[in-house]
Amino acid sequence: MKPPRFRYLRAGSVDGAVQALADNPDARILAGGQSLIAMMNLRLVRPACLIDINRVPDLGYIREEGDGVAIGALARHNEVKHSELVRARCPLLTEAYESIAHHTVRNRGTLGGNLCHADPSSETPAVMIAVGATLVLQSVGGTRAVGAEDFFLGTYETAARQDEMLVEIRLPGRGADGWAFAEISNRHGDFAIAVIATTLSLENGRCAAARVVASGVGEHAARLVPAEQALVGGPVDETRLDAAAAAAAGAVDPHSDSHADAAYRRDAVAALTRRTVRRAAERCG
Amino acid sequence: MYVGQAIRRREDDRFLLGRGSYVEDITLDDPIAHAAFVRSPHAHAAVTRVDAARAAAMPGVLAVLTGEDWTRAGNGEAEGVWPVKDMSGADARTVNRPFICVDGTVRCVGEIVAMVVAEDRHQAQDAAEAIEVDYEEKPANTLTARALDADTPLVHPAHGTNEVLVTEHGLKEETEAALAKAHHVTEVVVPTNRVTAASIEPRCYMGHHDTVNDRYTVWTTNQAPHIVRRYFTKSLNIPEHKLRVIAPDVGGGFGMKLYHYPEEALVLWGAIVSGRPVRWVGTRSECLLGDTHARDHHTVGRMGFDAEGRILGVKFETLGAFGAYESQWNASITNAYHFTMLSLAYDIPAIHTTVRAVYTNATPVDAYRGAGRPETVYQVERLIENGAHEMGIDPLELRARNLIPPEKFPYQTAIGITYDSGDPPALVEKARALANYDALRAEQAALRAEGQWMGIGICAFFDMAGAGPVKMMNDLGAKIGCYDVASVRVHPDGRITVFAGSHSHGQGHETTWSQIAADRLGCNIEHIDLVEGDTDRVPMGIGTWGSRSLSTAGMAVYTAADRVVAKSKRMAAHMLECAPEDLDLADGEFTVKGTDRKLSFAAVANASYHSGDRPPDLEIGLEETSFFDPADCTYPSAVHLCVVLVDPETCAVTLRDYWAVDDVGTVINPMVLEGQVHGGLAQGIGQALMEECAYDPESGQYLAGTFMDYAVPHAEDVPSFGLDSHFTRALGNPLGAKGAGESGTIGAPACVCNGVIDALWHLGVRQVTQPMTPKKIWRAIEDAQRAQQ
Repeated sequence: MKPPRFRYLRAGSVDGAVQALADNPDARILAGGQSLIAMMNLRLVRPACLIDINRVPDLGYIREEGDGVAIGALARHNEVKHSELVRARCPLLTEAYESIAHHTVRNRGTLGGNLCHADPSSETPAVMIAVGATLVLQSVGGTRAVGAEDFFLGTYETAARQDEMLVEIRLPGRGADGWAFAEISNRHGDFAIAVIATTLSLENGRCAAARVVASGVGEHAARLVPAEQALVGGPVDETRLDAAAAAAAGAVDPHSDSHADAAYRRDAVAALTRRTVRRAAERCG
Repeated sequence: MYVGQAIRRREDDRFLLGRGSYVEDITLDDPIAHAAFVRSPHAHAAVTRVDAARAAAMPGVLAVLTGEDWTRAGNGEAEGVWPVKDMSGADARTVNRPFICVDGTVRCVGEIVAMVVAEDRHQAQDAAEAIEVDYEEKPANTLTARALDADTPLVHPAHGTNEVLVTEHGLKEETEAALAKAHHVTEVVVPTNRVTAASIEPRCYMGHHDTVNDRYTVWTTNQAPHIVRRYFTKSLNIPEHKLRVIAPDVGGGFGMKLYHYPEEALVLWGAIVSGRPVRWVGTRSECLLGDTHARDHHTVGRMGFDAEGRILGVKFETLGAFGAYESQWNASITNAYHFTMLSLAYDIPAIHTTVRAVYTNATPVDAYRGAGRPETVYQVERLIENGAHEMGIDPLELRARNLIPPEKFPYQTAIGITYDSGDPPALVEKARALANYDALRAEQAALRAEGQWMGIGICAFFDMAGAGPVKMMNDLGAKIGCYDVASVRVHPDGRITVFAGSHSHGQGHETTWSQIAADRLGCNIEHIDLVEGDTDRVPMGIGTWGSRSLSTAGMAVYTAADRVVAKSKRMAAHMLECAPEDLDLADGEFTVKGTDRKLSFAAVANASYHSGDRPPDLEIGLEETSFFDPADCTYPSAVHLCVVLVDPETCAVTLRDYWAVDDVGTVINPMVLEGQVHGGLAQGIGQALMEECAYDPESGQYLAGTFMDYAVPHAEDVPSFGLDSHFTRALGNPLGAKGAGESGTIGAPACVCNGVIDALWHLGVRQVTQPMTPKKIWRAIEDAQRAQQ
């Protein structure tokens, strides 16, 4: 045991968990614990109370919801990664999982927990924004749905209130025709230096809609709207690829750290934008 | 014969089944208390107040101890095993690493200011957080390259300089003359990155004071328990005969676990003060910060060639990192292992080097797998690589023109050391064939035409391993005798226990020492047990480091076993009524040559202890000890070749292929050898591509405190290795063995870096400092292209 002292509560139901959140203002939900526990062991975070939801029954589902997919808060990364339903309806997420963490971490870590942790270099927020996912939050007062684009507010900061628990992730059906994910990290599975998740639709050879979403290069994952604007309305040719890449690089304000400096990150955003847009356009074929 | 066979490692059953016994696994009758430490958060600061009152009153706290208590207790100072001497032989500006801050100043992040001993680990950690320490920050410098600049803050102001010592080696005038007359001179700045061993088992210590018998015991994650015993005579003033040091199973050492660390001395002190056994288990963050760091040399090199690409001379100016203090073996790097090997595998007529060891506000630097030689190979090989490109000569061809030919052995290098045996051209030819070198060059050209960047890395080198001899190592500075020792005890039933002064922390001694002993004794390997790592069971020893154990401890096993054979033959001859020289010993039986008269080894063993009917001058018992002092160091050699691909968009490096051809002399177990080379290569590749003990240059804060920040290679980051060997016998020991522990780590950084440079040369890139992360390669290309415009 290396963390500071904390109170441990085990929830038997979602209602019990959100009640415990309401009763314990400095509590955190414990799902897979792959980030939270490590940070507690380093004594970087010190929640007074952990509410363990691992024994809540029937919360790890991955199921059809209309033409989309609904994923329960306890679905483990590897369950999502290997889900045929997810692969069929949200292949961008399946592709992103090739770059996310390591097998043992994915066995225990959850998609929901990963999103709530809101690490600025995390891959899954970019995917959620690119596909237009909706996150369902529950408190004793009821439930509300928040679009992924509005969920991520800052480093480790989300739109979920202290008394709210993320209970479900809703992925829409295939809205866009093409998609691609690319990441640069020092080693496979490491925190990303730069991530781009792209979705794209073509109509008559012209880009009808695009989402280019970056992670690892700002406080939180975000759309690179100028890059999207550079694409929409014309064919995805080398000129537009260059324009989108330049617009993407201009739209980010990355930080420097021991893994990469800002200039490299900006250039990486351009390279990954070009790479993902090209592949997404090819997939529209 | 067992020697030469790829026998499966006998120790692996317990490791693979999770049955190893590490320091954290040891249980005692008395409840074990736990230590936690307060460490400096600053790179340089005055400690103006330490208030432990609140911590001392917390639940479970047994003791809170500070530097004042240390001094009051009369405890001592660390002592260098390899003391620092400058060129005149005088002691240099040595400041030993303190066990705990005693002089009111902390000089690197992580330096210990106070210790808490508590009933459990949790309580100890909580109490350590409750100790209030006031610091007054001082200016700091963590960069070795800046250590001697005029405006750099001094780590130890009393010395008036950050220079620890300066030494020069080699032929100064000849080298200057060679460079002056050279057809072409190459110059490269070659800093090596600061790295650490990152062993899988963190450091861990437990101390116990038996007040009834006035004996002390320390369980330690250490590679050389007998040297730990010696250190304690200085730190806690405990005489060697009062202290038992046990190094049980240890999960990786790599040189980093060779030292008497602060925490090791402090847990035994805590045990003495609290009256309870005290244990400390390092967290990964504490270890990445507090384990000795390594490398961190800053070198400027110049190499002169004639028109055909033959090397005429090479000159280096090096700043060698000490960190904030002298760690116990650091001077063995700057003063012994580093400069001695500067000729690598090449016939270089003139070499000169100046080494300035320097202090910075960073974790002390000491030996890590290769200790000085990875720096050596890197600096020489980077010059050769650039020289070949600049002169338009194929890099492998240029090397081939400079190799030491086999007929020149024993070969005395221009730096003064003499390699006993080797055949570098044979290694190069094997590597060329293994890698299909010509096809690789063709592939490189084809890929470049498509805009793909492929590079071929090469290096060729000699390693100095197998320390002693005692006299030679004394002359190079060692204060310990670099021999090793083994006893072979034959039990009355003929079974055998081997006691060795070495220590296996991954090397597989239970297998390889048994292979040697079983061959000499003509017995079944299953009849042999090995004891290491306990100073009460093995009275003397020097331990395992510097690829030395096979040619010292292994040779002691060999020699002691031969003595057992000689004695047992006398007893057997008496029983069989023949002369000892008429006897053969094989398969557990003595046979009178040319007859069918036999006697079992077990029967002779039993008679050796229990029969009154023996030769009148033959002493009872069957146990022999050998203190083996080798006639020479050993000089393993190798040629490495690799292929790297650099992504033109992201600048990420993929290491596609890696080949190594080694000459390690006689091989005891090819599978163990292969494992050593694999592990060494992986660590060297890590140094080249991703590992760095980074500090923030402004604040002096440590930036590599977790495995998310300090990147070691994963299995998928290294290719499947292609290995071959070419053996020449070592002349300094009868086994002919040279040692193999460090070869991979020594060659890989240079080889991989040369590969990246080869891939990027056409873009104007001439140097990328290690680790060659995507951002650094990207920056180097940007800078090169800007320079060309």
